[in-house]
Amino acid sequence: MSNRATTAASERVATIGATGGPSLRLPLTLVAVAIVFVVGAVAPTQFAGDFVLRLGNEGLLLGMLALSVAFLMNQAGLVALGAASIYGGAGLLFAIAMNDWNLTPMGALCASFLIIVVYATVLGALIVRTNPLAFMMLTLAAGEMISHAVMLEGLRDYTGGADGLVVSFKGTVFGMEAADFASPARFWVVVWLATWLAGLALWAVGRSRLGAILRAVRENEERMRFSGFDTYLPRLIAYVLVNIVAAVAGLLHVLNAGFVSPESLGISVSTNALVAALMGGIAGSVGPILGGLIFSFAQDEFGGRGLTQLLTGIAIVVFIVVFPRGVVGGLSGMAWLRTRAFGGRRETS
Amino acid sequence: MIALLIANSLALASLLIMLASGLALIYGLRDVINFGHGAIYMLGAYLGYTVSLVGGFWLALVVVPILLALLGIAFEYLALRPLQGRSHIEVALVTLGLGIILGQIIIFFYGGVARSVDAPQILSGSVTVLNLSYPVYRIFLIVMGLGSCVLLALWLRFTSSGLHVRAVSQDPSVARMMGINADRLSLLVTSLSTAFAGVAGVLAGPYMSIDPGMDVTMIVNCLIIVVIGGTGSIGGAIVAALLFGFMQVAGSVFLPNIAALVPYILLMVVLLIAPRGIGRGRVLS
Amino acid sequence: MLQIENLSVSYGSVRALSDVDLEVRGDGILHGVIGPNGAGKSTLLDAVCGRRRPIAGTVRYRNEDITRRSVAWRRRQGMARSFQRTSIFQDLTVHEQLHLVAQHLGDDRLDDVIEVMDLTGYLHQKAGRIAYGVQRRLDVALALIGRPHLLLLDEPGAGLSAAETLHLFEHLRDLVRERKIAAVVVEHDVDAVFACCGKVTVLDLGRHLATGTPQEIRANHRVVAAYLGTAA
Repeated sequence: MSNRATTAASERVATIGATGGPSLRLPLTLVAVAIVFVVGAVAPTQFAGDFVLRLGNEGLLLGMLALSVAFLMNQAGLVALGAASIYGGAGLLFAIAMNDWNLTPMGALCASFLIIVVYATVLGALIVRTNPLAFMMLTLAAGEMISHAVMLEGLRDYTGGADGLVVSFKGTVFGMEAADFASPARFWVVVWLATWLAGLALWAVGRSRLGAILRAVRENEERMRFSGFDTYLPRLIAYVLVNIVAAVAGLLHVLNAGFVSPESLGISVSTNALVAALMGGIAGSVGPILGGLIFSFAQDEFGGRGLTQLLTGIAIVVFIVVFPRGVVGGLSGMAWLRTRAFGGRRETS
Repeated sequence: MIALLIANSLALASLLIMLASGLALIYGLRDVINFGHGAIYMLGAYLGYTVSLVGGFWLALVVVPILLALLGIAFEYLALRPLQGRSHIEVALVTLGLGIILGQIIIFFYGGVARSVDAPQILSGSVTVLNLSYPVYRIFLIVMGLGSCVLLALWLRFTSSGLHVRAVSQDPSVARMMGINADRLSLLVTSLSTAFAGVAGVLAGPYMSIDPGMDVTMIVNCLIIVVIGGTGSIGGAIVAALLFGFMQVAGSVFLPNIAALVPYILLMVVLLIAPRGIGRGRVLS
Repeated sequence: MLQIENLSVSYGSVRALSDVDLEVRGDGILHGVIGPNGAGKSTLLDAVCGRRRPIAGTVRYRNEDITRRSVAWRRRQGMARSFQRTSIFQDLTVHEQLHLVAQHLGDDRLDDVIEVMDLTGYLHQKAGRIAYGVQRRLDVALALIGRPHLLLLDEPGAGLSAAETLHLFEHLRDLVRERKIAAVVVEHDVDAVFACCGKVTVLDLGRHLATGTPQEIRANHRVVAAYLGTAA
């Protein structure tokens, strides 16, 4: 998953054409990756203070959300502007499940995950059929729909309305207690692990046949149909997959924060994820996650002065206009795939 | 009762038509959705508020559209033209970013508070028509909406630029091959679109409150209308705006608990039944 | 192999095809379709391959009425189409896109297609970077994958020189004969059509004008009149 070492090594050894599964890697690269994984999991908890760790946790969560946005953009050419509704929605459902349905923490986790994934599937089934521009509009609309739904008078008791919901749980989730999730250091390890899993999973999908089909459909949807492909199902699957990642991030967030606010469902979280993806680079898995971290630390710098939203807007414009290739190499069509294998790997920028 | 419903729908639809048709025009011409359209509308509303304070409502109605037309020209030259070669998604994202920036600038100058604008004396109060008392201002709104529809239709039908716009909207490749000066046309369409957004913004002041979230609300409404109407179809946008207005108003009367969700339900239903939208649009790939 | 009956297609209020009948057998000869501009040739292919819904008439493929079937289904059943405006995958290499389609259609003899269409030297270049003539060949090659039974080629010679077009047609004629498949080729270059096609159909203003061997068509007065006379 580490960028440059993998790219260089694999270009030497990569086989042409997509078959299922990753191409050969030199053992050296694997070792390097493993070292990064272990060091990254442990070092921050030892050397960084709680405040930095908190920022790091936020950064990784945003990074996961950015990953979901980036993957769909890079592979399918679709921009999803409603990521926050899945992220916040999953957390909200967990809170409701805990508070109102009296489920165990694990039960609540499963229930909320299932519900949000079903929602994403139904929504995707409706909107993935449209062209990319309409898709973008519709995800924005769907995101706002959820925001409005949460603020409805009638549902205020469930959703907490503008005040949000506090959720605390007794018992364990995957063997960890509420205090473990709330602790910045211990949560960092959990999020780090989850981020790596999500990143690897999506990277693998990108390298698979599904990834190849998605990219070809993005290139020329009509010709794909004329070559006998169903162009609807692959995109629907991709949409559901990225929303699974977003949902996981949202659930982790609520486990850590113990609180869900309507802001976490709002459009600014969606645009933050978009900016994080653009900053880090939408190709591959490392970029968006890095972008999330950068965004989180930058927001701490500038957020105090109330500049975050303004800078978000500026960042979107700048990263598309000024840095089209290196950072947003995916969108401008020039640098979609620089490697010979069908890897959605990070561009050398 | 029904009459009241229809009248209220028309009033709301008037604003929506002005905004949605502007959006549809740009899309039909350039295949670009201006995600910042809501922010421009918001700018029109807040500027209208300021100008109204200084020189009255009518002055605002004249000055603001002109100012926003100038903004449209700047938008065309500084944003749309340079990005002509880029993919539609990228341009759409840039308009999104610009919209966010504009929204933040407005909030910076005006603070994050809602404002209200008073209707001018002539248009305030109610009038009795057929035993029903109805606010004069809303009738004015309906007249303005109708008027702009008629003007738009006349322009599209009878002027050469209108003809060109229709040609490019219906079959961009053929029209461009015919050598229609797309650049000049685009400048006209963009500034018209922003000017209309300005008119809608000024008109909105006395009708609904001006608040910092109105850009997001309005762009989502417009997007829903444009998708239902079939992106690029102006006639479809108008029909969709009427439908939207009616559903919104009826929803707030009959289903007040979920009134805010009615437009989205409408959208989902339309997507289910007619993925192409109502008009001869290009929603599907 | 292919029977078209009473086919009519409209674009809004414009009637592009009216009551066209056509029969194509899988006998290994190229069946050319020619006609003046606006004759409806591309529309005919669009209707056969499913890109356009006809307002009337039927399309029968291998004795089955397929008028309502999807584009992707028809392709999987062996009806393949190439495009007048080259429709390839610009950012994939030649080999990548051919391989992708071949895998999907279960064709393990991609090398044949590559050889026939003379693409061997271009395999690892991005399709957007190769010469136009090679792109046209790639467009046709994509249609050849999966051993189709019926080829629908839309002006394969568009943008090519007369010599290149003739060369391409000769390739196609040999390929079609070898594999005993049916092929309908819409083309503007009348010389190439007459040289390589066993049968020719002429359309004019959306109507079927004549069908016959090249010699018969050349001698047909109405065809000559259509091309030179009152036709648009």
